[in-house]
Amino acid sequence: MGPTRGVSVLLIFPALAMALALFIYPLGYSLVGAFQDKAGVWTLGNFVRAWELYRLDTLFTVFIVGLSTFLIAVISVSIGGYLTLGNSPVAKKILDWLYRWPLFVPFIVAALCMRTFLGRNGMMNNAFVFLGLMDQEMAQSFLDWRGIVITFVWKQTPFVTLMVAGAMAGLDRSTIDAARNLGASRLRVLLEIVVPQIRRTLAVGLILSFVTMMSVLSVPIMLSGQSPSMLTVNMAWRINSVGDYGTANALGFVSYLLTGLAAWFYLREAVRDKQQGLTR
Amino acid sequence: MSARLEIDRVEAAYGGTRVLKGVSLDVAPGEFVALLGSSGCGKTTLLRCISGFVPVAGGAIRVGGRDITPMPPDKREMAMVFQSYALWPHMSVAQNIGYGLRLRKKSRAEIAARVAEMVAMLKLDGLGERNVTQLSGGQRQRVALGRALAVDPQILLLDEPLSNLDARIREDVRHEIKALQRRLGITTIHVTHDREEAMVMADRIVILDAGTIAQVGRPEEVYNRPASAFVASFMGANNAIRLDLSRSGAKLRVAPGPHNREAELPHEGAIDGKVTAHFRSEAAKLSLPGDADPQGALALEGRVVQAAYPGGFWRYAVAVGDRQFMVDDERRVEVGVNARVVLPAEALHFFPAEKA
Repeated sequence: MGPTRGVSVLLIFPALAMALALFIYPLGYSLVGAFQDKAGVWTLGNFVRAWELYRLDTLFTVFIVGLSTFLIAVISVSIGGYLTLGNSPVAKKILDWLYRWPLFVPFIVAALCMRTFLGRNGMMNNAFVFLGLMDQEMAQSFLDWRGIVITFVWKQTPFVTLMVAGAMAGLDRSTIDAARNLGASRLRVLLEIVVPQIRRTLAVGLILSFVTMMSVLSVPIMLSGQSPSMLTVNMAWRINSVGDYGTANALGFVSYLLTGLAAWFYLREAVRDKQQGLTR
Repeated sequence: MSARLEIDRVEAAYGGTRVLKGVSLDVAPGEFVALLGSSGCGKTTLLRCISGFVPVAGGAIRVGGRDITPMPPDKREMAMVFQSYALWPHMSVAQNIGYGLRLRKKSRAEIAARVAEMVAMLKLDGLGERNVTQLSGGQRQRVALGRALAVDPQILLLDEPLSNLDARIREDVRHEIKALQRRLGITTIHVTHDREEAMVMADRIVILDAGTIAQVGRPEEVYNRPASAFVASFMGANNAIRLDLSRSGAKLRVAPGPHNREAELPHEGAIDGKVTAHFRSEAAKLSLPGDADPQGALALEGRVVQAAYPGGFWRYAVAVGDRQFMVDDERRVEVGVNARVVLPAEALHFFPAEKA
């Protein structure tokens, strides 16, 4: 037993060392930094300043990421639902091929594309004007919170859809047929039979998306210069322009609390899934 | 509420493969019909055409005289029981059974009353609030049946509903379903590959072969008077031998062959010439050296090469030339003994050789 244990410790050591050096140490460092002033004295001053300056931005961040998560849920379930229950094989094939594309686009590139797409004279407005759906004078810029939400949704929906559609494809098809056979419409089958059976996968996909969106800096910086902004922008500002690591750390702590809450949900679901797997 | 089901020259295809080649069948109200056949014969496809899950490429399906061919599955007023039961794991027993009623916008009280009725009828008492994942196979099967029957469908479709059950439970459930069907008088189509199951449960059996109907008839008709060599084999007469016959009135003379002496069999009918004769192992007898010579029967000279005891009788493999036949006999015989396979006229089903 002894030597085997030695070998296994040796085997996991590199990974453990990496995690400690690159993740645990900096995380601990910034957590501690959130509770210290520049002289290293313990204080809650950073949080007081963060609260005074950025409480609106915190709410704004939660609103944007929350709304995006909700929209991602609706769209990914719709796409997955059509792929599972749709009638037209051709439409299904095209949709299946199309929806994954944004997965391969980095956030910064997505933001760049959206700038040219959503601006006052951007492609979207031009297309509406060209189609006669809107007058040129009515055109307005979407480069604000709406732009951030649109970009997040566009970028993250494929990821959640991939998980959701996979889970839907793995369902016992006859559970769907049974509901159709008893007289359920496609929409009812989707909402009452399919989604409840894949709800854990959906939740996990949404939580992972939530955490990802909380940490994106490029999209809010590029799409919305105005205040309020997202916490990532505030943190970058405190560090790069003010050199105020304390407040940045406090903001980091707040966003860590938010994602930690999501992670807690994720772990709870994962544990529950495992237990069900064992008893099944 | 049961209805007549008419299947009129129905065709179906998967991709370019024709799975049903013009199947016609008329099912009377309240009748229990079994679709029987081996894998790939089209029986499940026919059921899925009736339920609307597989589009019909040609022909029509009518219920109570009304053409339902273009209707989607949710408008057909049928109820199906699936092989995997297809219960919804996120719902309780009562919710599963009541779902179809919810779709029909029944009141809570009506749903509760009907669910209670189903639970009592199917002996699921006390399990109403249980999650379906906590039930045994037999119980799940009952819930699936309850869910189908709760909506009082015009047609009940059973897609191999017993094949996932233990053999012992399966026997009980067969009789329960049959009794229930008779009591409710509901038109029922049952897909199975199990011959005995079809025989025990159905009023009529439809044997399908490669997308066409090979024979339709009551269980005893299909069993005793198979219309083709395929049906004979499928219904258990899978020992086959080629014979040369010549008819004189009500007698058939079997020409002597390498393994049989000349024999004369009493037989009515038109069969003559070169034939393939099918027989069941239980319809044949073993004749050992020292037994009296069989009269009015065909005897094949052979040797016992294998013996097994399935219960109640012995089953022997008897080598006749380069062929082996299965023969049942109550006596214990050693392997290696020379024996004759004795086939009385009524044991033999003759089919013209070129068709076999």
